[in-house]
Amino acid sequence: MMKKSQRDAVLLSLVREMIARGSWCGETHIQKAAYFLQALLGVPLEFDFILYKHGPFSFDLSDEITALRADALLRYQTRPYPYGSSIVPADEAQSFLDSYPKTLKRYADQIGFVADKLGNMGVADLECLATALYVTLNQNGQSGQRAEQIPRLKPHISLEEADLAVQRIDEIMGEARDLRISMS
Amino acid sequence: MTNQQEIRDPIHNFIRLDPSEIKALDSAPFQRLRNIHQLALTYLLYPGATHRRFEHSLGVMELAGRVYDVVTDQSNIKHDSVKDVIPYDLMKYWRRTLRMAALCHDLGHLPFSHAAESHLLPEGWNHERLTMQFIRSDEMKPIWDSLKVNPEDVAKLAVGPEHYKERSFSDWEAILSEIIVGDAFGVDRIDYLLRDSYHIGVAYGKFDHYRLIDTLRILPREYRSSEEETGSLEPTLGVEEGGLHSAEALLLARYFMFSQVYCHHVRRIYDIHLMDFLQAWLPCGQFSTNAEDLLRITDSEVTSELLAAARDASHPAHVHAKRVVGREHFRLLYQRNPEDQKMNRRSSQRIFNAARDRFGDSEVRYDSYRQKSGGLDFPVLVKDKRIMSSLSLSDTLARVPVVAIDYVFVSLGCRRKADIWLKENRKEIIASKGDEDE
Repeated sequence: MMKKSQRDAVLLSLVREMIARGSWCGETHIQKAAYFLQALLGVPLEFDFILYKHGPFSFDLSDEITALRADALLRYQTRPYPYGSSIVPADEAQSFLDSYPKTLKRYADQIGFVADKLGNMGVADLECLATALYVTLNQNGQSGQRAEQIPRLKPHISLEEADLAVQRIDEIMGEARDLRISMS
Repeated sequence: MTNQQEIRDPIHNFIRLDPSEIKALDSAPFQRLRNIHQLALTYLLYPGATHRRFEHSLGVMELAGRVYDVVTDQSNIKHDSVKDVIPYDLMKYWRRTLRMAALCHDLGHLPFSHAAESHLLPEGWNHERLTMQFIRSDEMKPIWDSLKVNPEDVAKLAVGPEHYKERSFSDWEAILSEIIVGDAFGVDRIDYLLRDSYHIGVAYGKFDHYRLIDTLRILPREYRSSEEETGSLEPTLGVEEGGLHSAEALLLARYFMFSQVYCHHVRRIYDIHLMDFLQAWLPCGQFSTNAEDLLRITDSEVTSELLAAARDASHPAHVHAKRVVGREHFRLLYQRNPEDQKMNRRSSQRIFNAARDRFGDSEVRYDSYRQKSGGLDFPVLVKDKRIMSSLSLSDTLARVPVVAIDYVFVSLGCRRKADIWLKENRKEIIASKGDEDE
């Protein structure tokens, strides 16, 4: 089990790696990336995810992002229309990360994998893909059945988009198999 | 209108209920809120803060109805994706359900409201779960039957998706629960900021809520994260541009009220002493989660025991009761500050640990609070019909600080020694870091 400060280090590192891969990194990007890290790869962040804003969402994680802003580890970066705001490492982030070399080394491969897969995605695509992962992990079934479930949960997502997302999730899950951390 | 009952209210002038809604008001779980203070022991610092959850809940119901009427008004729905979300054949049903959920959203509060409920209830329980238990109770069932509302819908909207885990929320249900408990524009917060500032006698909780509510809209969060992207069509609560300054004022009011009132160090230490008292007095140190038991215990019963315990040296909670009743609360030794935070992110914990080693566990207390979530980023419908992020339109919002406190308190007996000790050792204590990565 990670200490809270170690979990903060993992989150900060995830934000940094997402941005390094070109991510806009708003709150939705962080939420979905943390969901993949925890649910797909088994990194023990221990956030409680439910299906809510743009797919899997954790209120605990949202609170944690706010707490990291309070500690000058993250900050908002605003941009003009049509872009949403980004959340980026703040002044104290690097010295904080330097204090957690063992934790960051332990999860570096998992963080890198998630950043590689999600770093270039926008909010709408992330919503679709993360919802596809949620449905896959919480419901057995063929890809067609899982795809049909997605527009029922998120009516603004089309069946075609859902189909593609489920196919992509199946690919990603295959690639992630060797990186998954076992809880035992 | 003729059958409606009107209740006078200092914040909203009149709160109106129809006869069938009065049954919910008259129920025992709701009447219990007449004896639950909205702000716990805050009246020991701000004597006017004697208002109760009862009138707050009425205010939340009134505002929920007003917001519902504005956001579902046909002339205020401009996006096709939003039109698809609204169940036009069930508008009356959902208005009534929303109002009842708003009325009942605080039913499960323990005596003295929020005071350390995680320590005073069994694992897995909180006031939201108790609220759902009351809503589903046999006592409330005939009321829901006569109102023709499903109690599960009431429970769902009352506590929101964070606490209602049985089923996921549809987009429509998510918006309705956002009207009550939403991070940015939830009417729970709108009412408590206005009501608390009115009763306490401070001005900085006030803002133009009439203008804000009039400009609330259901909007897709269309703004993007890249050139190629179209943005998500998921609907959420936002404002028209004309209400942006009122929204800024609301979020600043929240910051000022939390930093000046809710997190005032004397209020926080009274909460701790009250928790110590309750843990020493209650069977097994916890409240029962049984609904019948909860109906029988309110602030009145706790206050009565507190006063008796303060007078009786043999009472198991005597020492804690005296600290509250006799105003012998612990005094502030140290609080989090930016300068020390820069040197050591855990400066407050270091001071606490060192003080505890020096003066003993029973003489030192620690308290910490971090603001929950943010609510600063919401969609704004601008005059040319574009939907923009509030943070890209408002420099004010981007600069609203996050409320974060850490306090170290010491007993009255140790206060002078502790002040001198801290002055002599502060730098050295804060400089000691240790390895956090174990």
